Amino acid sequence: MIEIQVTITNTSGLHARPAAQFVQKAAAFKSKVKIAANNKVADGKSILAVMSMGLKQNTQITITTEGEDEKECSKALEDMIKSKFGEE
Amino acid sequence: MVGVVIVSHSQKVAEGIREMALQMSAPEQKIIAAGGMADGGIGTDAFRVSEAIVSADTGDGVAIMVDLGSAVLSTETAFEFLDEELRSKVQIADAPILEGAISAVVEASLGSNLAAVVATAEGARTLNKC
Repeated sequence: MIEIQVTITNTSGLHARPAAQFVQKAAAFKSKVKIAANNKVADGKSILAVMSMGLKQNTQITITTEGEDEKECSKALEDMIKSKFGEE
Repeated sequence: MVGVVIVSHSQKVAEGIREMALQMSAPEQKIIAAGGMADGGIGTDAFRVSEAIVSADTGDGVAIMVDLGSAVLSTETAFEFLDEELRSKVQIADAPILEGAISAVVEASLGSNLAAVVATAEGARTLNKC
């Protein structure tokens, strides 16, 4: 199991298009993906769960990945958030 | 990949939702707008809907998002125009049309089956905005 902490820096937060990109990236891996923030935990492969988190810019989130490709999965999601989902 | 059809009384609404949904989906995701009447007027046209369903299907079925009232009736009529095989794998989602369509295309882009796509679209009903 890998746990990383990352801050959402893109302007629109983890909503709509970024949420969709996140879920699709997460779903490309076999590992289980969980996002935790604001005392809530969401399945990182469920669009509704991710959008319901209401994650705004500057929120720190914890991403937990667990499975055979947890390392690659964790890295890919971290890179995606750090690259601001290509927003700017 | 499950296809998604957007049925609205307004051609502009259907096309606008399609445009937004395309931003969120995989490049090969089928999203077809079936809005308005053939002459561009407000209404729903069962024939247009059935054509949209046929073009949205890639073999895995089609989830249909509807706006109000007769959009449901026209879609049900459209089902009668389909061949039996396709008719067995189409489903109307009881969901808000925009949020449902967005959620449905993301789920469909993951390669989920029709039941999962419809369930996700319907789950969008409880999505809190603030």
